[in-house]
Amino acid sequence: MEREEGNIRNTHRISKRTILFGVVPFIVIGAMIVLLLNSPGILFQSSIKPLPEISIEKVEFSDDTIVAFVRNTGPSEITIAQADVNDRIYPAAIEPGQTLTRLADARVIIPFVWNTGEPYSIGITTDDGTRFEKTINSAAPAPRPTVGQASTFALIGTYVGIIPVMMGLVWYPFIRRLSPNKYNFFLSLTAGLLVFLGIDALLESNEIAVNALAPAFNAQILIIMVAIVSFISLLYVSQRLIQRASKRSKPDIEYKTGYSSHSEPEPDLELRDTRSSSTPFQQQLLIRPIAISMMIAIGIGLHNFGEGLAIGAAVLLGEVALSSFLILGFTLHNTTEGLAIVAPMAKSRRIPVIKLIIMGLIAGGPTIMGAWIGGFLYSPIATIIFLSIGAGAIFQVVYSIGSWMYHTNGSRGLLNNHWIIIGFAFGMLIMYLTGLLV
Amino acid sequence: MRYPRIVVLVGVAISIMIFAISTMLYSRSSLSDQNSSKLDTVGGHTPGYPILQTTGDVLDPTSFVINPKTAVVEPMKYLREFNYGRISTSSNGTVIRDFTLIASDQQTKEVSPGVFYNVWTFNGTIPGPTIRATEGDVIRITLINNGTKFHSIHFHGIHPSEMDGVFEGIAPGGKFTYEFTAEPFGVFPYHCHMQPLEEHITHGLYGVFIIDPKQGRPQADEMVMLMNGYDTDFDTENNFYTVNGIPFYYMHHPIQIEKNRLIRIYLLNILEFDPLNNFHLHANMFDFYKTGTKLIPDEYTDIVTMNQAERGILEFSYKYPGKYMFHAHKTEFAEKGWTGLFLVKDGTTQSVNENLNVTSIRNITDYSTSDFNKSTNHVPTGGVK
Repeated sequence: MEREEGNIRNTHRISKRTILFGVVPFIVIGAMIVLLLNSPGILFQSSIKPLPEISIEKVEFSDDTIVAFVRNTGPSEITIAQADVNDRIYPAAIEPGQTLTRLADARVIIPFVWNTGEPYSIGITTDDGTRFEKTINSAAPAPRPTVGQASTFALIGTYVGIIPVMMGLVWYPFIRRLSPNKYNFFLSLTAGLLVFLGIDALLESNEIAVNALAPAFNAQILIIMVAIVSFISLLYVSQRLIQRASKRSKPDIEYKTGYSSHSEPEPDLELRDTRSSSTPFQQQLLIRPIAISMMIAIGIGLHNFGEGLAIGAAVLLGEVALSSFLILGFTLHNTTEGLAIVAPMAKSRRIPVIKLIIMGLIAGGPTIMGAWIGGFLYSPIATIIFLSIGAGAIFQVVYSIGSWMYHTNGSRGLLNNHWIIIGFAFGMLIMYLTGLLV
Repeated sequence: MRYPRIVVLVGVAISIMIFAISTMLYSRSSLSDQNSSKLDTVGGHTPGYPILQTTGDVLDPTSFVINPKTAVVEPMKYLREFNYGRISTSSNGTVIRDFTLIASDQQTKEVSPGVFYNVWTFNGTIPGPTIRATEGDVIRITLINNGTKFHSIHFHGIHPSEMDGVFEGIAPGGKFTYEFTAEPFGVFPYHCHMQPLEEHITHGLYGVFIIDPKQGRPQADEMVMLMNGYDTDFDTENNFYTVNGIPFYYMHHPIQIEKNRLIRIYLLNILEFDPLNNFHLHANMFDFYKTGTKLIPDEYTDIVTMNQAERGILEFSYKYPGKYMFHAHKTEFAEKGWTGLFLVKDGTTQSVNENLNVTSIRNITDYSTSDFNKSTNHVPTGGVK
């Protein structure tokens, strides 16, 4: 007992000292901060005033007014002196006030009779005479959060997200009947589609980062960071999912694959037989397709959320005039997403329709949410983050499909199978071609 | 103990989501907490434009009065201020006029409401003081350089090479007296001629120099108008255009003149970057004396266009009382500050509106009809071949 107590005290003391060692650098940093802030003249003195920096994040057009959302993204406090439309000075109001602390924002409201469909440049001049400008290519009334507008966005989301994914799911019976080679072709086609989507999401968020966000946000680094974190987190989650599922006894398998537990009426007898005699690896082979499909659905859902944000924002910012052609383009483009979901499940036991629909909703539904948020509360940084999460999720899915094909393909390896290579290339080509419609 | 790792990862993911959502909502929340104690009004200058009430600040250079303490000039004072110098007479009877100009380049002053700019000035203002003499006078201008760079004064007009202010710069802290005979009569610019020339001019080192003819000009309400601009963000495009130094100043401070009284404007364009500038007078015509070097007008017009350093004299009088605009008919310049108003008064206590009665409108109609008939006689000659 005594020895044990001693040991405990000992470890306790060590941990206290550890904490102390851990804290000392913070104390030093704290002292430095206090020193530098309280005696600015001691170390660094500069007569040069830092250059002001303002981001005009969003411009909204409503009844005879133009509203510019500005943020101080420079290193110091800024006072806004004047506003202009197309480089012509106009009286304006600024709320909450004309002095902006670092990263603070304000609304500049300019009474102005604008014309729909015409381009406008909104300029903001700071007290040192620097003018910042944002050009809107085509002025359009800002969507208002009304029931009508919300249902319009919901309809767009349904066309762009849910319907195409559901249409893709209809390929399920077709894919089930394919020979292994053709099946591999469709799996790698899926991987190709997804790689395209992932790259597309990264490029799009990069575009937003460059055009709509100030360098102060370091948005381009943020994209890579978020995509990587999203990738490794989802990879970890999916592997845990599969691991834990294979450890459990057979009746629990469906539950552990992550959806809807006991709704399935009759497990496929043939499959159950295989399972009862299977090794853990074979078990994994059976569980993985469903888990992969689920992860694909989640990944595409995240991606579609980002896509919805982008569509909503484009409508809000007047960058896109929504037309039936555009919607049709999105629909065709996204139909392939449904195919991506069903492809991995083709060789597993039969999936009830209701579960397919749920997966479809997981993948397609977020588009509506995204369109609402993007259209009513546009934030470039949030759009970037969600697009990057989606990109990470998609690359994780590609990785899962790749490793799945590698294991099921036996000794042949991935790149020795021409069906896989052709499928991958074809998948990207399909996306590129349907992307031309958007 | 594998569980915590997933917690950490999920935690990271959730915190990213929360960060994203909070940035999204931030702009909304920061806008909602405004203090609703004060309400200001914006707009209403333009017919058909809405008038807004705001709890925030108003940015309105078209109606804001700039603080005279920080302003680069008081345009109303500059308008009719002519400096004749300290006058003495030489042994042979020639009038000698002594002036002192102090150049500086370190001040920051308000050039447009709320906008502060590093101004380079003669005697602390943009434009510099208007120097006035009579043809044949001896002018002696002492330049004291209080700045940190070399400066000089280059006068337009006739004078010896060493008085031209081009090859001899005045060092910081230095002093030099330019001396020459005022000739010929007319309107001239003066400006710093140090390199880079564009930099020295666009920062504000310029002014108007008037030489009167010996016989004088008819009695008039005289004023000086200098057209300039400010490139406050150094992109070689002007952010503001003005007449007499402050954008829109004469919009909220109309220049009061009397009905039927002869007005004489000494007009000069010193605008950098833009190749031309112009002056358009509303509801009236003026006699224009190009460069002011002749006593016979060159043109009877309502608009005159000038390149940099071009100038002239305008003479007109208003027939009807009321408010009349004058502005650059390069509308971009007008809408960026080069706009002003004359307020023509009757000389009696009668208000403007009372004068715009039906009788006077009918009179105008009669006049224009007869004028139209007259002019139609001339139309066909040029058109048919």
